[in-house]
Amino acid sequence: MIQDVVWSVSIVLMGCLAAVFVWVATGANEQIANYGPVVDAAYRMRVWLFGLAIVVLIGTNYKTLGELPYVNTLPQPAAPVQVSQVVGQQWAWTITPDTFVVGQTAEFHVTSKDVNHGFAIYDPEFRIVAQTQAMPGYTNVLRYTFTEPGTYQVLCLEYCGVAHHEMKAEIKVTDH
Amino acid sequence: MTMAATATRSAISPRAAVLAYLAVSGIVLLLMMLLGLTMRLAQAQWINVQPDFFYVVMTMHGAGMVGIAGLSGAAVMWHFVRRHVPVSTAIFLTNLVFFLIGAVLILGAGFIGGFGAGWTFLFPLPAHSGSLWSPNAAASYLVGLMVIGVGFLLLHLDIARGILSVYGGLGAALGVKQAFGLAPEKDGPPPAVTASTMVLIVNILGILFGAAVLVVSLVNLYVPSFTFSALVAKNMIYFFGHVFINATIYMAVIAVYEILPVYTHRKWKTNWAFYLAWVLSTVFVLTVYTHHLLMDFAMPTWALVAGQLISWLSGLPVLLVTAFGTLTIVYRSGLKWNPAAALVFLGVAGWSIGVIPAIADGTIAVNSVMHNTQWVPGHFHTYLLLGMIAMVIGFMTYLTNPQPRYGFAWLGFWLYLGGGIIFVLAFLLAGSESVPRRYAVHVAKWLPYDRMGSVGAALAITGVLILVARFFAGMRAAAYAEDPT
Repeated sequence: MIQDVVWSVSIVLMGCLAAVFVWVATGANEQIANYGPVVDAAYRMRVWLFGLAIVVLIGTNYKTLGELPYVNTLPQPAAPVQVSQVVGQQWAWTITPDTFVVGQTAEFHVTSKDVNHGFAIYDPEFRIVAQTQAMPGYTNVLRYTFTEPGTYQVLCLEYCGVAHHEMKAEIKVTDH
Repeated sequence: MTMAATATRSAISPRAAVLAYLAVSGIVLLLMMLLGLTMRLAQAQWINVQPDFFYVVMTMHGAGMVGIAGLSGAAVMWHFVRRHVPVSTAIFLTNLVFFLIGAVLILGAGFIGGFGAGWTFLFPLPAHSGSLWSPNAAASYLVGLMVIGVGFLLLHLDIARGILSVYGGLGAALGVKQAFGLAPEKDGPPPAVTASTMVLIVNILGILFGAAVLVVSLVNLYVPSFTFSALVAKNMIYFFGHVFINATIYMAVIAVYEILPVYTHRKWKTNWAFYLAWVLSTVFVLTVYTHHLLMDFAMPTWALVAGQLISWLSGLPVLLVTAFGTLTIVYRSGLKWNPAAALVFLGVAGWSIGVIPAIADGTIAVNSVMHNTQWVPGHFHTYLLLGMIAMVIGFMTYLTNPQPRYGFAWLGFWLYLGGGIIFVLAFLLAGSESVPRRYAVHVAKWLPYDRMGSVGAALAITGVLILVARFFAGMRAAAYAEDPT
C-alpha cells in the first residue's frame, strides 16, 4: 500500500538526514581554523544538492500529479458508475446505497447537514483506501473502484464533536 | 547597523521582560505537555478519561501549545531584533498581558465551560456542541483567541515601526535587493532583521484573516441564521493557523543564527542565497496553506495542485540554507558542546527532518490516505517539539549560562531527545497504519502505538522539566547578566 511506501521512504530519508547531523555534531570538536575554504566547499556541495533536489521535485510531482483523486481530472469510466449519496450528521453516516460490486466504479456524493466531517473508507484490513471531506453546503465527489470483496468501514476523519470517534458505518462489497 | 532599543516608560528592563515571556512559556509548555500525555495515556487505555473531557483537553493542548510557541518565539525574535532597531518594552509587555488575559478566557471556556471544538474552531462546529458547551463558553474561547491576536498584532506593528525607522522599507529589511544581486551582500540586513521582517509580514496578514473568521464564528454563535461558507471559513482558518504556527519557527530560528556563532566563533554568512531563501519563504508561507485542504474536493483544483507544489518548494529554503548553514558553521569548528548549543543545533535538525514527512503529507496522492491520521501530529511534532521548542529551550539555556551543573542539563537534553524521538515515531508509525488523529477512544489494534507514544511523551516531559527547572534556577542571575559572547 502507498502508506507502507511513504513510511519506508520517509524513515530512510529522515534517518539519512539525522545521520548527517550526528556526523557533523560528533566531529565538531575538531577544528579547521580557516573557515573560508569550508564555506567555499559547502557552497559547491549545495549547488549539487540543489540540482538533485530539483530533479527529485520535478520527477515526484510529475508522477504524483498525474494521479489526482478529483473527479474533474479523472477519465470518464468505460462502464456506468454506481452513484451513492453520503450524508454526514453529528454523529452518523447515511450512505445510500451502501453495497457495491468489485470492479465497478463507485461514485460517492458526499455532503454534511451540520459541521465538517471526514468520509474515510477503511478496507477489511482497517487501512484507508480513499477519503474526502463532508462539508455543509458543498458536495464532494469521490470516485473509487473496489478491488477486493468484504466489509469496509467508514470512519469520520474530521473532528466533529464529542462522539466523533463513534461516527462509523459499514460498506459491503460483493464479488458480483 | 546596530542601535540600542528606545527608552520606554516600562519599569521592567528589556532583559527581564524576555525572561518573563520565557518563564510563562516554560510553565505553560510543561502543563500543555502533561495534557498531551493525558491524551496519549487515555488512548493507550492506561487511564480512563471520558470523551467529552478528552476533547476539552485536546482543545486546550492545541490552543496552549500554539500560544506558547508564538509567545516564546516572540521572545527570541524581540530579544535579538532589538539589537538592531528601536522597539518598545512597554508594548512587548502589553502583548504578554494580552496573552495572559486570553489564556484565562480560553482555559475558562474549556475547563469551566466544557468547550471542546478543537483549537482550530472549524466553522461552524463552535455553534454545534450537542449541548456540551454553551454559546458563552464558545464565545469565551473565541474572544480569548482574539485578545491574544490583538496583542501579537500590536507587537508586530511596533517591530515594523522600528524596522521601518532604520531600514526605510520592508523590502530593504528583508534583503530583497541582495537576494537578486541588486545590492552588495555586505550591505544586507542582519539575519535577525531579515527573519523578523518576514515574520511580521506574514503574521500581520494571518492575524487579520484569523480575526475576521473569529468575528464570523462569534456572530454565528448568537445568530444561527447568519450563515457563512464553511469552505471559505476553512480557508481563512487554515491560512491564519498555518501562517501563525509557521511564523513561530521562523521567529525561533533567529536563536540559531545568533547563538551558534557565539559558540563556534564563526560568522553566520548572509549572502544572496540566504536573502533569497527568506524572500521565497515569505511567499511560500503565505501561499502554501491550501495543502491543508487537499481533501476538500470542492476547492479549485489549481489551488490544490499549487498547494502540493509549494509544499515541495518550501522545503528547499529550509534544507538548503538554514540546515546547510547550520551544518557548515558547526563542521569542525572546534565547538565544545554545551546544552545551549546542542539544543539549537537539535532544533535545526528536528525542523529539517520533520520537513520530510510533512512534504509527503503535502502530496495529494499521499494525503488521500494519510490526511487526518496520526501521520499529521507525527510530522508537526517532529518540527515543533524537536525543532521549534528545542530552539526556544536552547535560547532559555543560553540566557541562563554559565551554570555550574551542566551534567543535570545534559540529562534533561538526552531524556528530551530520546523521549521525543520515540514519541514522534509512534505517531508516524500509527499514521502509516491509518490510525486517525483526534480520537478519544482507540481500538485494540492501535494500542501498541499509543503505549509507545505514552512512554516517549513521559520521557520527553521529564527532560523538559529538568531543562525548564534549570532555567528557573538561573533566571534571577540572568536578569542582571549579559548575553554570552
